[in-house]
Amino acid sequence: MPDMVSLAQPQQRQFNPYADNGGTILAIAGADFTVIAGDTRQSEGYSIQTRYAPKVFRLTDRAVLAVNGFAADGNMFVKKVRQRLEWYRHAHAKDMPLRAIARLIQTMLYARRFFPFYVYNILGGIEEDGSGAVYSFDPVGSYEREACRAAGAAQSLVQPFLDNQIYFKNQVPAPGMAHPVHLPLSTVLSLVIDSFTSATERHIEVGDGLEMYVVLAKGSTAIQSLSTVRGIQEMTVTEDGERVFVIRRELKKD
Amino acid sequence: METSFAITGKGYVIVAADTTASRSIVKMKVDEDKIKTLSPHLLMAYSGEPGDTMQFAEYVERNIRLYQIRNLYALRPSAAASWIRRSLAESIRSRKPYAVNLLLGGYDTATHTPHLYWVDYLGTMTEVPFGAHGYGSYFALSLLDRYHDPEASLEEGLATLKRCIEEVSKRLVVAPGNYKVKVVDKNGVREVEL
Amino acid sequence: MNTFADRFSTTTAASQLRHAQKLAEEEEFDATMWGSSAGFGSLTKGVPTFTVPAVPDPTAFLRLHTDDHADPSCRIKIKHGTTTLAFRFQGGVIVAVDSRATAGSYIASGTVKKVIEINPYLLGTMAGGAADCQFWETYLGMHCRLHELRNRERISVSAASKYLSNLVYSYKGMGLSMGTMICGWDKTGPAVFYVDSDGTRLKGDLFAVGSGSTFAYGVLDQGYRWDLTDEEAQELGRRSIYAAGHRDAFSGNTCNLYHVKEAGWTFLGNYDISQMHYEGPGDVPGAPGGGYGYDIRVEGRNSSDPPEEAAAA
Repeated sequence: MPDMVSLAQPQQRQFNPYADNGGTILAIAGADFTVIAGDTRQSEGYSIQTRYAPKVFRLTDRAVLAVNGFAADGNMFVKKVRQRLEWYRHAHAKDMPLRAIARLIQTMLYARRFFPFYVYNILGGIEEDGSGAVYSFDPVGSYEREACRAAGAAQSLVQPFLDNQIYFKNQVPAPGMAHPVHLPLSTVLSLVIDSFTSATERHIEVGDGLEMYVVLAKGSTAIQSLSTVRGIQEMTVTEDGERVFVIRRELKKD
Repeated sequence: METSFAITGKGYVIVAADTTASRSIVKMKVDEDKIKTLSPHLLMAYSGEPGDTMQFAEYVERNIRLYQIRNLYALRPSAAASWIRRSLAESIRSRKPYAVNLLLGGYDTATHTPHLYWVDYLGTMTEVPFGAHGYGSYFALSLLDRYHDPEASLEEGLATLKRCIEEVSKRLVVAPGNYKVKVVDKNGVREVEL
Repeated sequence: MNTFADRFSTTTAASQLRHAQKLAEEEEFDATMWGSSAGFGSLTKGVPTFTVPAVPDPTAFLRLHTDDHADPSCRIKIKHGTTTLAFRFQGGVIVAVDSRATAGSYIASGTVKKVIEINPYLLGTMAGGAADCQFWETYLGMHCRLHELRNRERISVSAASKYLSNLVYSYKGMGLSMGTMICGWDKTGPAVFYVDSDGTRLKGDLFAVGSGSTFAYGVLDQGYRWDLTDEEAQELGRRSIYAAGHRDAFSGNTCNLYHVKEAGWTFLGNYDISQMHYEGPGDVPGAPGGGYGYDIRVEGRNSSDPPEEAAAA
């Protein structure tokens, strides 16, 4: 009989709609281009769920969004952003500008302030003035424009490397020399690849594959350095505007 | 809440401690002297767990005195500080540790140099130009970074101490009312009025 | 007992959440949200609506997953840790902030803009939840503009801060975290209001907010006078943020300095705290020259006081 009584009591269950699916994303802005990259491993705890789950998505010809954290929330969020961008296209017959997408993402994340998306977003692309730009977000929508940003499992490994190599933190230029303000695309791509191979070496949640999206401003000369890149694939939809490419590389699978 | 400060200057150390002894929400005493004179040129301000503070301070006081009686000379400030720190370090590893924080101000008559040691109940010790314990430290440390002068005269040093006390009275909700201030220099130890 | 009362009351946080939940359950976007309202789709109902988890106590749910003080291992880390200050004086208002954002012990960013430029004559500062401050102060900016259009005059600092205060108070108990100073110049002259997510709103001459505020107060209070010159006041703001950046681990990186005058605010500069320690803020009016750091300031000075004959020997 005591069992019957206890069954009649109200029950409280723990509601946990979140998981951490690992992985790392990264974006670097150049003068007239932006590189947005992410690894493709998806894991939960010590188990790898899949070796190919994209975390970087083309939104428009001038905007690419990388999502990291809880994969289900991330995919849902990208879907919703794309839906809103499509509505915008129907209403205005043009793609939404990058800084407007950034603000849109803020309001969409903040609308879930009391039931957050567990997603760290990095938005990369080309501004209306033709400059490369990176916007980084926290899960509830605070955002900032930056030149480079790493997020996710290996952010604490990758970001200090980027601070040193992109912002030249703690480096002193040779006498009479100055640090460059913007790096060329070939240098940036090398840094991205090095960031991910190194993160793969030292972090168990990073590896399998690497996807690097390159967004070029209209008429960017950086196109020349892409012609020699192995296996590059163009994703551009419209003509005479910004162009989007994706470069895929293998990462270690252990 | 308990607060203590100490400041070095040209040839002296000023040690100040509030004079309240409280238990729970009640002030039990408002003129308690929490600065002990350990030797002719050594002062110790103590704060922390009631009971532990006085027991530990008296233990230190008697042992430093014993050394002086046995050897006919007092420990120099750095040696005394080392011994006191070691006592706390052994205490924290015992069944019932003393929870006592200290500021040790001394004048080394051999080198004519004032020394100040900041010591906490874990046995952490560091020599500093100025130091503070308690909530007051959150206001006083940045102030002293700005205004402290290692070559200040005693008048200037006391003026800086006054700034600290006034700042804490202005901003800290649980600021103490009164402080006892003592100075140690080449002439020994004396109490001063602010 | 409380839960029982909560369920049937209409004024508690939980019941307000239930109300918000009911709104959210309706179609999230309707046809009118297409087009020009696309950016602020969630605001077109007049008030923002929020999605709320379907649990008995949504606030506890949010706390479980986001409160990094109670549980450092929780997943969603909301950025914390700050020093911000603002003070009123004869020449207007000085606003100075640091630029560090921390998630646990990781420095998530060293380039955060903690001064939110609400409009050309109103500034808001950011302490607590970065998104809460950024979102609601931007939202406040929209309403200040609407006030202008409706009343053909600028909103007073007092009214703007009251609007924000009432707004965050309506969310009390639901987990918002903000401590902000609304600064500006209106018909009454320079004005500073402190507004936080508890619902406190205070008018005053001088405020510092955040984990490093005590250290900033230590320098600020001692140097503050109403009749400070513009240069002295700017230097005091910079020096106080340096003090906090130096003593508080959760504050640092750089200092952003603003001056509000009758014609609106001006941004004066970004100063590296490490550089201020060693070299000072550079060639700026009011700077004494030389580094602010204690060791740099007192270099070569010492407290030894040897008698004459000992010094000679």
